[in-house]
Amino acid sequence: MTMSREAKVGLFVGYTAILVVLALLYLAAGKGVFETMHTFTLSSKSGDSFTEGMPVVFSGFNIGKVQALELNDQGIVLIKIKIPDRHVKWIRSASTFILYRPLIGSASIVVNTPNLKSSPLDANKIKEVVIINDINDAIAKIEPVLDRLTEIANNVENLTYNLSDPKGDLNRVLGNAEKITTNLASKKSLVEMAVSDEESVKALNDSLKKLKDITTNVDRILVKVDTMADKTDNEIYGKDGALPQINTILKDLVRKLQKLDQTVDNINKISNDTSEGMKDFHILRSDIDDVVNSLGKVVKKLDAIMGSKKAPEFKVP
Amino acid sequence: MKKLLLILFALLICACGTATTIPAWKDKAYMHLDDYKTSFLAGKEESTEPHFIKARREIAASNDLGLLTVAYLTKYALHTASLENFDSSDFAKLYKLEPNPSDMAYCHLLKGNFTAVDMKVLPDRYAGLLKSALARDLTMAAREIAAIDDPLSRLIACGVWVRYLPSDETILQIGISTASANGWRRPLWAYLNKLQEHYLETGDQNKAAATKARLDLLKRD
Repeated sequence: MTMSREAKVGLFVGYTAILVVLALLYLAAGKGVFETMHTFTLSSKSGDSFTEGMPVVFSGFNIGKVQALELNDQGIVLIKIKIPDRHVKWIRSASTFILYRPLIGSASIVVNTPNLKSSPLDANKIKEVVIINDINDAIAKIEPVLDRLTEIANNVENLTYNLSDPKGDLNRVLGNAEKITTNLASKKSLVEMAVSDEESVKALNDSLKKLKDITTNVDRILVKVDTMADKTDNEIYGKDGALPQINTILKDLVRKLQKLDQTVDNINKISNDTSEGMKDFHILRSDIDDVVNSLGKVVKKLDAIMGSKKAPEFKVP
Repeated sequence: MKKLLLILFALLICACGTATTIPAWKDKAYMHLDDYKTSFLAGKEESTEPHFIKARREIAASNDLGLLTVAYLTKYALHTASLENFDSSDFAKLYKLEPNPSDMAYCHLLKGNFTAVDMKVLPDRYAGLLKSALARDLTMAAREIAAIDDPLSRLIACGVWVRYLPSDETILQIGISTASANGWRRPLWAYLNKLQEHYLETGDQNKAAATKARLDLLKRD
């Protein structure tokens, strides 16, 4: 039996069409077109960061996506997620939904089901989405750290300022330490370190050594003085004795010194006034010179204008 | 028409003026030397010397030793006119560097070295004085001195005579009248003093006392 050419072509086209349809159906089945989809509704106070098509992730695997975003009458955002039948088992009544916004990367709704044996989530039940914001959290965590860092920087600055200040505590301490070590190195005595004068200490030591001799001598003198005192008392303390006369002389001297003191004060005042006045003398002199020069210039200009001035003739009188 | 004439007159006056300008130092030096002469003769002790120093400074700036010599001779002449001594060492130094016979003749006259004076180079006004000084003729001297027109020159001539030659009342009176006519206190007091001495020398006590009284009265502030 022979087939006509038209029949062969018709048969080829028919098979090809069947193959294409079958291939498309296979692909559609693979893509889940014929798979039963479950829709759940979630809620959130803010629709910020929610987008249609956003993935729904369970344990790192995409198990669905956001189908639609709506706003109800109470101003709550309703997020409808579509979960294929094969993944619906992960969505339980114990599941929590978290909007996770990583520092880097796109946001996603993470499903966390601690108890997989709990009852399946009712499609009419609306669960709230918890928002985890890595950026805000990071900032919130970094802020106190930054405050601490600022405090540390301020302290470091204070420390360096105090260290570098020539009059600062550290430099004073170092200066004192240097003085002490220098004194210790020169093996000076404690007295010498206290009075900071070697000569004074030597003199003090000599004085202490001589003190004993002096006291002995003084004792001897006192004995002699006692014997002489009786004789001289009358000459010194008597009515016409030396002391009353010295007293009157001293009183007179004090009066004269007081007058002299006033004179010295006046002289000081005069010299101060004079020195104050002298300060302006050179300025005054300069001003006078300026005036004289200006007048000279004016006279010269007048002479030039008039042209009447003759050259001065120098001759002996 | 009147305005036009005035403008033309002004232009004529301006045209008469010389275009040459006098150097500032010369003008100042002349002015200071003139002030020195006035202050000296007026007896202003404090301000006299600064004027000479200023004049000297200005002249020194010009490096003109001739003018500097004139300044010093002027100073000596004023001292002579006031019957005072002077030290001519500065003139001697200047003369050594830049000798000028007329300056030396003038200096000799002021110092009373009449025989050393070269009359040819001496200023004409002092010729009569020199002749009478050489002849020691008092009458001629009084006449010649009185004949000098310039009062300062006349006073200098009087000073030369009074200082180095026998004093004469007539010459002293010429000096007094010249000084008083011009208000020259310093020479006036010197001549009155000299006149008093003259009266004392001649034994005229009354005139001497009267002159002293006059002098005391004039000197009182």
